Amino acid sequence: MSAMTVLRCWLALMLLLALTTGLAFAPLGSATLFVSLTVAAAKALLVLLLFMELKAGNSLIRAFAAAGFFWLMIMIALTAADYTHRTDVRVPLDNPAD
Amino acid sequence: MTDEAANPAPGYQYADAVQASEVSTLGMWTFLATEVLFFGALVAGYFSYRIWYGDEWIAAAAHTKVVLGTANTAVLLTSSGCMAMAVWSQDAKAKRATSLWLAATAVLGLLFIAIKSYEYFLEWQEHLVPALDFDPSRYGGVTELFFTWYFCATGLHALHLLIGIGFVVFAAIAIARDRLPAGMSIRILGLYWHFVDIVWIFLFPLIYLAGRNG
Repeated sequence: MSAMTVLRCWLALMLLLALTTGLAFAPLGSATLFVSLTVAAAKALLVLLLFMELKAGNSLIRAFAAAGFFWLMIMIALTAADYTHRTDVRVPLDNPAD
Repeated sequence: MTDEAANPAPGYQYADAVQASEVSTLGMWTFLATEVLFFGALVAGYFSYRIWYGDEWIAAAAHTKVVLGTANTAVLLTSSGCMAMAVWSQDAKAKRATSLWLAATAVLGLLFIAIKSYEYFLEWQEHLVPALDFDPSRYGGVTELFFTWYFCATGLHALHLLIGIGFVVFAAIAIARDRLPAGMSIRILGLYWHFVDIVWIFLFPLIYLAGRNG
């Protein structure tokens, strides 16, 4: 990795940070979190591929790097599947009956 | 990676220096995979609360300090750039530059901790600290839950960063004195540092950006 790559990657990260902060104030409604997490994923990919040298790494190391995120996706998908399909009424956190 | 320049002879268990560096890189990535799941549990928790409490959860996120959070993100991303430059300098066998880039990385890491501490102080003044000083007459129960999550997530992240700063300061001094321990690698240290940066990249939108357009 050259110094110029580091500089370009840093500039791209700063631009994405400005973009995501700007978009957070836009009237996107419930899409806000989805949009900001998409930009976060782009930033993370830049760091993973360039700063952490996965772009130049061998496939065994890439597979190990991907494994953690792969299992995380499964955990989040199954947790979200549970919570989005619950039909029981949640207990209000305020004014508990005591 | 065991740095070939500092340590030309790999341990007897390795065929050569290339294999030695691949093994240590793989070892660090294995550790980082466990860290992904460690912080990932917090992120899954956030999504559960977001689904369960809906707009109340997002309204609670609006109490966070977006200017300080954005500044801190810029600081941490820049520190990662400095860390990448330290690795680049080391590959170019420029010891002084490596040491200085590491010092810059550590200074930015400490600046992040300073800004975060100031933020905690402001939240303390606003009675937003669950269990210690939380004002239920001003904020609802979902806000209390949000800030419990917030202090767990940012606290664990700050702890990881402090450990990283410790190693980076040690390496910067050791390289300046030409006494880097044989098994220590700037490249591997860099992987850890960049990972802590990635955790923050995801915490930033969840904490600071979620409640901005409500």
